[in-house]
Amino acid sequence: MHELKLEDNPFFVLGIAADASRIEIEREAQKLLGMLELGFVDAQTYPTPLGPRPRTAELVRAAVAALRDPYRRLVAELWARHAPPAKPAEPPPPASTAGTPGLRDKLGWGR
Amino acid sequence: MWGPVLVAVFYLQRLAVDARRQHRTWRHLAWSAASAVMTTALLVLGSLLVYLFWYVGMWWMGVVLVGFGIWPMIASWTIRHVLVPLGAYRIAYYAAFGARPGKDVPAYAMCVAAWALVYDRTGKGEAWVASKRDARVPLGDAEVIATALMAVARGDLDIARPLMRSALLLEENHPFIRDLAGEWLAVDAAERGDWKQIADDGYAAAWPATPLTFFLEGVASRKVGAAGAPGTTELWFRWLAAPHRFTTRHLREAAVPPPPAEPTAAPAEEPELVLPPEKAPLPRAISAHLAIAQRVQPTPTALGATVRAWDAALSDGATHSWLARRALELDAPLGAVDRALREVALVVTDDLARIADAARLGSPASHGPIGDALGRRLRHGRLDALEAGFNAWAARKDDHVSKRNLGAARAPIDEWREFIALRDAYAAAVLAGGPELRRLAFPHAFTTGSNMAAWLWNQFHEYSMSHAISKWLLDEALAVGDTEAIELGNRNTSLYVRTRMNED
Repeated sequence: MHELKLEDNPFFVLGIAADASRIEIEREAQKLLGMLELGFVDAQTYPTPLGPRPRTAELVRAAVAALRDPYRRLVAELWARHAPPAKPAEPPPPASTAGTPGLRDKLGWGR
Repeated sequence: MWGPVLVAVFYLQRLAVDARRQHRTWRHLAWSAASAVMTTALLVLGSLLVYLFWYVGMWWMGVVLVGFGIWPMIASWTIRHVLVPLGAYRIAYYAAFGARPGKDVPAYAMCVAAWALVYDRTGKGEAWVASKRDARVPLGDAEVIATALMAVARGDLDIARPLMRSALLLEENHPFIRDLAGEWLAVDAAERGDWKQIADDGYAAAWPATPLTFFLEGVASRKVGAAGAPGTTELWFRWLAAPHRFTTRHLREAAVPPPPAEPTAAPAEEPELVLPPEKAPLPRAISAHLAIAQRVQPTPTALGATVRAWDAALSDGATHSWLARRALELDAPLGAVDRALREVALVVTDDLARIADAARLGSPASHGPIGDALGRRLRHGRLDALEAGFNAWAARKDDHVSKRNLGAARAPIDEWREFIALRDAYAAAVLAGGPELRRLAFPHAFTTGSNMAAWLWNQFHEYSMSHAISKWLLDEALAVGDTEAIELGNRNTSLYVRTRMNED
């Protein structure tokens, strides 16, 4: 099964613009790897249009490798350039109030 | 003499509730009066006999008579309020023998034992009840309902719900057991807040109603604003007649009918997916895709809008030009543009097919790289899944032969569960795929289903199960208009179905 290239898009993982140069990409990757090594909280997640996602050193290395390949960078750019802006983390959905939790048990039909 | 009188009392009570449910007030009053007269006569006769025995010095005989006479009156209460909450499945099983008159009392006892499993903390009861169930062949509604209650005890509610409901398909009908199934389904739906389901079941009178079911149906029909919903006084009476009044009083209080709809208000329509007009086709398509992917319940309209947006984006000249320019700038290999477009189309089709399958949506009518591919994917995927299911079902015959050679016993409930799962998958595929998919899927269903129905009828005398399969095939044949299948279905469903309830 193929997945949309939005969650792990290399540009989102590295937190750089889709028109970043190769030097900028390498520099950002080194900076992020150092921050992850030192356990910086800011570096541990990255924003995407689907909400924040956890960032790991493996993801950063895979992103840099993908952007070194012209074809893979073309596809990554196609998604990153045209995607809507990154979304902040969503609050948890409110608990449903439609039913009556525990009614089955109270009426003798099980837990 | 006692037995027929008890049978009459129990059936009169049932007829009274059924008449009330169907808003036949006079019949309800007549049956209630007859039931009251019969109960009074029973009590007077019993008291006279006890007095007679005491008078002639056989007081011990009077005690025995009191036991036999009173137990059927208090057994249901004792089972519901004492034995089931204690999880005493064995005692409940034997106690149930005296609780209900009529044919096939062991079936009721087995279901009561399965009900008590819900509170059995030892975890040993399931095997015991399963052994009672497996000893009973052929399969009937009691075995299906007992299996569903065992699933409830395990916490497998998603398995229990369709299994419980599937008992309605079987020709064998134990009203006292269907009472239990109907009540469980109503209570379960009330816990989930699915009042419409309860109101629909009540309207269709699908299950015989216990006082608790009858009360919940009243609450449900008031909550959904159904026609003929009981008034406040009637709901009070239903509540008084039902058990667990302390627990259900808040349901009675909350059963407020919705305000009447404004006559001028337009009917609620599904909100159209609005895409920002200023965006170029590709950003519009990605935004639409993200919106549908994040919906809890994607709708056909939203899926259609997304597919059309993608078809427009991938056929758009601006997208192609942008890709070609960037491919040159990046020094991408030859053919990179076409390859990238194919990859995007594949990724998008995969994701939309997953969303459509999960939400059981049909393929939208849009012609383009995504619309055509999605249509093919959904149709083939669903047909392939159904074909694999029917093949697996047919393979049960061979599997049975090899198991029999190894000395393993046949479990009719497994065959029933296989049929129910396949029937549900077929219904879901047909709902999503429409009449075209139904016509394509039916021949395979008909061939396999007919063979299985004949095998179950001839080899194992599973009359109820075989009849249910034939009835389903006939309904499907009528839906697709297959004359040969209709003729065979009519012949098969007109056969006399022997059950434990109609045999002498």
